[in-house]
Amino acid sequence: MSAHHHPRPIGGPILDRWMITLLALFGVAEGVITWRFVAGIGAVSNMNDAYAWGIWEPVNVVVFTGIGAGAYSVGLLCYLLNRGKYHPLVRPSVLVGAIAYSLGGASIVVALGRPWNMYWLALPGMWNLSSVLLEVAICVIAYVGVLWIEMLPAALDHAATSPHPRWSAFGQRWGSRLARAMPYVIALAMLLPTMHQSSLGGLMLVAGPKLHPLWHTPLLPLLALVSCLCMGLGAVVVLTALMRHAWNAKHDHDLLVDVSRVNGALLVLFAALRLVDLYAAGKLRFLATPDFHLIFFVLEMGLFLLPAFAFLTKRVEAHRVRVAGAAMTLCAGALWRVDTFLTAYNAGESWSYWPSWGELSVTVGMAAIGVAVFIAVSRLLPVVVVQDTPVPASLAAFVLTRAERSRKGTAGEG
Amino acid sequence: MTVRLSRRAWFGTVAAGAAAALPRRAAAREPVAPEPGAVGLLYDSTRCVGCGGCVAACKESNGMPWTGEPRELDCTTNTVVKTRRLSRPAADGATTAFVKRQCMQCVDPSCVSVCMLGALHKEGAGKRDSGGERKGTGIVVWDKELCLGCRYCQIACAYTIPKFEWAKTDPRIVKCQLCRHRADPARGGAYAAANPSCAEVCPQEAVVYGRRADLLAEAHRRIAAAPGRYNPKIFGEDDGGGTQALYLAGAGVSFRDLGLPDMPASSPASLSESVSHAPYLHGLTPIALYAAAAAIVRRNRKRAEEGHAPRKEDEE
Repeated sequence: MSAHHHPRPIGGPILDRWMITLLALFGVAEGVITWRFVAGIGAVSNMNDAYAWGIWEPVNVVVFTGIGAGAYSVGLLCYLLNRGKYHPLVRPSVLVGAIAYSLGGASIVVALGRPWNMYWLALPGMWNLSSVLLEVAICVIAYVGVLWIEMLPAALDHAATSPHPRWSAFGQRWGSRLARAMPYVIALAMLLPTMHQSSLGGLMLVAGPKLHPLWHTPLLPLLALVSCLCMGLGAVVVLTALMRHAWNAKHDHDLLVDVSRVNGALLVLFAALRLVDLYAAGKLRFLATPDFHLIFFVLEMGLFLLPAFAFLTKRVEAHRVRVAGAAMTLCAGALWRVDTFLTAYNAGESWSYWPSWGELSVTVGMAAIGVAVFIAVSRLLPVVVVQDTPVPASLAAFVLTRAERSRKGTAGEG
Repeated sequence: MTVRLSRRAWFGTVAAGAAAALPRRAAAREPVAPEPGAVGLLYDSTRCVGCGGCVAACKESNGMPWTGEPRELDCTTNTVVKTRRLSRPAADGATTAFVKRQCMQCVDPSCVSVCMLGALHKEGAGKRDSGGERKGTGIVVWDKELCLGCRYCQIACAYTIPKFEWAKTDPRIVKCQLCRHRADPARGGAYAAANPSCAEVCPQEAVVYGRRADLLAEAHRRIAAAPGRYNPKIFGEDDGGGTQALYLAGAGVSFRDLGLPDMPASSPASLSESVSHAPYLHGLTPIALYAAAAAIVRRNRKRAEEGHAPRKEDEE
């Protein structure tokens, strides 16, 4: 790969205004989490015996990991389908994945009532293999490890360019060792999400009697898998646009058009699977009942199909359309997931649920620390590929960028 | 060449994805039959007078505080008697009916199917003994050492039975275990397994404890003896794969009006397990997928290193 493809640290101040805001949001969440361990889950949440997962499971786990599935979908394109051109997207997506999955895992631990019993999970003999959640738990724990291992080359590359000779030698030696092992890690990074993303949908199979018929189907695992691919690709497009705006990151028009076209096909696939399944199961009559479930269903379908139409026509060429479509894709996947776990789930007439401020602040705080970690890591380690011909804010910035890049370029080649 | 390889890889990926996610009928899980010694309750809504004696007795036997007549099951209430307003008057003109709710002790329980480490399990059939477990009673018991407090049981249970101690830092999952701690081996029979105080105190024989098979026979006998008095269906005989708590309703009273859900004859657990397990082919699929992925990634990498020209569009 040529030098201009190399990611490099963005640099700049870590603790700027944005970062302080993000950390403050996380601080509030930390406070709530601390209180949860002192006074119980009921003290900070509106979760109840019927809506026992509140928003933490549906949003912090199921939606966050959907956003983090960019690592999976871009990885599939890049490594399995051998489209090397997607390579510049891999590191940022893997970082988002590593962060999102770690936060999902952390949220589960916060939500567990008896986390101290988790040590049993280390004993495969104790696993109940019928439990879809067990599969999700084991798979997600393993995948968090895999994702951070996938991030190691960024750290080792950076070490290799260090002026300190020992660091540099360390980075080079372990970098090349890891590179040899990488195909086996990548294969795991392809397998594990296939398993647990489908299982995340499979979680609600057992809740059939409590789930609205428009959402309950044996296709839940397949729908969850397709939706994570959509969300992942959407997240990558949104992320690239944000990074271009903030850091003048490389923004390959043709590449993003291709990603969006693939996503368009996946979005159509999702909608087609749902509609054909409803028809085959004789459930179309539920579309004739005007209730709030129908509103959510129509909203979902719109969010899936509108970007699909944009992506599969000439409109995909326009930057704004593409980014707006990708954002809608994220909303589409998130809404389908939240509907399946929350709005379409009805535990009985005498129960209701609305998230508490405590629950919301944990969800917001988790998202905030995720963004903060992404920014910090991108500033410190070579994750993001920066534009070749930057549009410099000032001549000085321009010179600095060139100088740093040439330094990196020679060090990388050496 | 590269194009063909990629295309093959693409088809491979699609096929693998489909295999991993598509349900397959062929591997459907066998239905679970009730254990011969399974014990349970028979509740007869037509006999119940709503006195609430069972609720008080339950609280006392299980050491739970009395904080006024409970309206709903909660973490200090294992059973409750509700007065249900009927959507249509019953055959005898009644517009309300009583229903006692407690754990249904399903034949094929969702909570047991979903429990990550088997904290909830059929008595004597778990991975470890939580203390004094007998085999074959079919009672769903909870082991606090194995519970992570994930609450998937609460999501999964079609009857929304398991309760969680939300206000505690050491929360338990609470539900009726048929007073198995009151078992009376000297008395023998079903009483050697458990002895629910709700049935013991019921003045009307509206709540009867015994072997499920005997309770089913008793229910059929009651219906046959007074056909005009009963809804001919026994809830729990097959509903959701069958339950060990069985329900009789009055003539013209639907079980839905009593707050019991419409359930297919197969259990939710069997659907969930069939769909989730089938694509794994006993663990073969993940191994094959992993091997295929590793081989493809390695080959692609090798080609790149050997300087094979990648696809035209890859060049920049």
